[in-house]
Amino acid sequence: MRWLFSLVVVALLAAVQAVSFTGKRLLVVLDEASEKEKYSVFLGDLEGRGFHVTTESPKSDSLSLFRHGERAYDHVVLLPAKSKGLGPALTANLILDFLKKEGNILLALSSESATPTSVQSLLLELDIHIPSDKGALVVDHFNYDSSSASEKHDVLLLPYPTNLKSGVKNYFGGDGYIAVPRAVGQTLGNESPLLAPILRAPSTAYSYNPKDEADTVEDPFATGSQLNLVSAVQAHNSARLAVLGSAEILQNAWFAEKATLAGKDIKTANRDFAEKLSSWTFKETGVLKVGKLIHYLDEGVSKKLNSSVAVPENNPKIYRIKQDVAFQVEISEYSNTHLTPFVPADGDSIQLEFSMLSPFHRLDLTPISQTANSTIFGVSFKTPDQHGIFNFHVKYNRPFLTNIEEKRQVTVRHFAHDEWPRSWQISGAWVWIGGIWVTVLGWVAFVGLWLYSAPTEKSIKKTQ
Amino acid sequence: MKLLHSFTSSLIVSGACLASAASSWSFQDATIAIQSKGAGVGAGTKETLNPNTPLAKSVSLGATDTLKLLLTTTDGKKAKRPHQAFLTLTDPTTGLEESFVLSVKENGKGKVDLTQKDLPVQFLTSAKPIPASIVIGSFGSSTAYKSTAFDLNVSRDPNVPLAIPEPPTRYAAEQEIHHIFRDDPRSPPKIITLVFAAAVLGAVPVLLGVWATLGANVNHFGKAFGNAPISHGLFFGSILAMEGIFFLYYTSWNLFQTLPAATIVGSVAFLSGSRALSEVQERRLAGLR
Repeated sequence: MRWLFSLVVVALLAAVQAVSFTGKRLLVVLDEASEKEKYSVFLGDLEGRGFHVTTESPKSDSLSLFRHGERAYDHVVLLPAKSKGLGPALTANLILDFLKKEGNILLALSSESATPTSVQSLLLELDIHIPSDKGALVVDHFNYDSSSASEKHDVLLLPYPTNLKSGVKNYFGGDGYIAVPRAVGQTLGNESPLLAPILRAPSTAYSYNPKDEADTVEDPFATGSQLNLVSAVQAHNSARLAVLGSAEILQNAWFAEKATLAGKDIKTANRDFAEKLSSWTFKETGVLKVGKLIHYLDEGVSKKLNSSVAVPENNPKIYRIKQDVAFQVEISEYSNTHLTPFVPADGDSIQLEFSMLSPFHRLDLTPISQTANSTIFGVSFKTPDQHGIFNFHVKYNRPFLTNIEEKRQVTVRHFAHDEWPRSWQISGAWVWIGGIWVTVLGWVAFVGLWLYSAPTEKSIKKTQ
Repeated sequence: MKLLHSFTSSLIVSGACLASAASSWSFQDATIAIQSKGAGVGAGTKETLNPNTPLAKSVSLGATDTLKLLLTTTDGKKAKRPHQAFLTLTDPTTGLEESFVLSVKENGKGKVDLTQKDLPVQFLTSAKPIPASIVIGSFGSSTAYKSTAFDLNVSRDPNVPLAIPEPPTRYAAEQEIHHIFRDDPRSPPKIITLVFAAAVLGAVPVLLGVWATLGANVNHFGKAFGNAPISHGLFFGSILAMEGIFFLYYTSWNLFQTLPAATIVGSVAFLSGSRALSEVQERRLAGLR
């Protein structure tokens, strides 16, 4: 009966649509019910992808991110609220605790309403900086929508973001233009590797406050591509927080709107970008999963990794120094609906460290083979000539990908007494071995002589 | 449409197309001057900038120099104050950008001063000249202006050390590490070993030869075996066997195989030895040694 049951479970799982790798409980924090209409297409898309959407007002008493000390939701969309505070359920500390419990947050800002203090202190904690004055927004006199913002130039039309840098996968690429209306620009602190820009402002853009009386911008908050319109944080525990400079990107009004960029009629692709951004934030893309790690003594026969979970890893616990060892690891990437073989970006590679305190070897893993939903990476190397307790250590932290850290401990022992080369194999020892044989022969000859020698004429004379 | 010639960015190209519909931002009376510290007013180089073509030769900014850019912004033909007037430096290799805001007066006269202290460290260490562009734009329908104005060459005093900050941590693949193994123990050249080994082995014939000249012989072999054949055979045999046990211990046996065998052979040697040596003593007492 058990196989029948598991078959039913598998069939049920297959019927489920695209859904996040970590869970499908989604909370949307929204000020007024009337606001919900503006985001109906975006929220409908989320429900269509399998999320259970709950909408709550920040003022609601029943709103809580936690229940019994555990997360009550897997993901949160924080839409801008009219009120200055977000209430006792959404303090900066609670939102950080939510991230610490591996919850994901899509945080939308708006220049039309003041950023709540809890969001301000949350962003400050994460080293993301936004203009302190209410109403500051990003303008660009070059890439604006001349049909809706011909005077104010505050609706930016930007192409999809390209690769952040070589060796980083792009989860937000596409064709078309994204309309970014009245965005709050962010700058990212330089110290943390956890921060990454998703959509940067063009080089001629700058942030200013329309309420400022001055005719000319004198001390802009930030200019050019130092200004981010959408940025991301991925914590050490792979919890994700995306900061969206303009909540209007998610509104129906901009999902497929006609716009004019420099005299050219275009259609905005916000719906697609909102899907890409939300599916990254809610762990539908860019999620890595490690399968099995195997390592074995390389005796010229390569072993095949059996990726079945039924077979335990069963790795050796001990190696000798200077032995050839082969290592294999199985890595999959979750992509919207299922696990796929993971392929690192060009110029990037997963690395294996063979380390005792510090790495003795750090080697690039190369893809050996692929299964239906994983890539098997492998490398062979010689254990170092140092005995001790070593780790096979795979640590793979990259922007936009969940972190991998796997360790397998082994002992590396010294040569045993009978594993050294024999003395006759060492040419330098031949003189000493010869000396021993000379002694042996001399001894036997002396014994024979002492036992059986007859006195000679000469010696008899001498003794007499 | 003149912008087309000076700038190839597609954004600007498309922006320039609008110029036919509305007036566009530009500048006039632009001068760029490099003043060295201590030199009087008017000293140093001075160049005139043209909004349509970048300056042919690059501008060099020394360690104590000040770059002064003066211009009048215009909308169409009229001098006017724009909302945005930036001097933007772009690192040609890394793409790093830094904008400096021109302070523009009501009548469109704008200026900016630049010294090496204002520049980020990346620009100070840049090997290539840094393109500097002027960006002028404002609200409304007038087309914004952006064009490369000149190349900035930062000449640093090589004697002054530069505090370059540590590059911040970024997640990326790190340099590979391959363990460097200690050298294997080495033997001297075989020919030397063979010469010395031959010298050592040559000691045996030398020893035997010397003994022979001193009159060594084994003439009493028959006599000894005639008097005590079993004890002499066992004694000499056990001595040979002991050497054999040592040889086996050297090549293949372990200590637990060696010790019992050595005990047996040793006791045989002890028992037979006392007899054999008694026979030798008899010969000595008989004056035969």
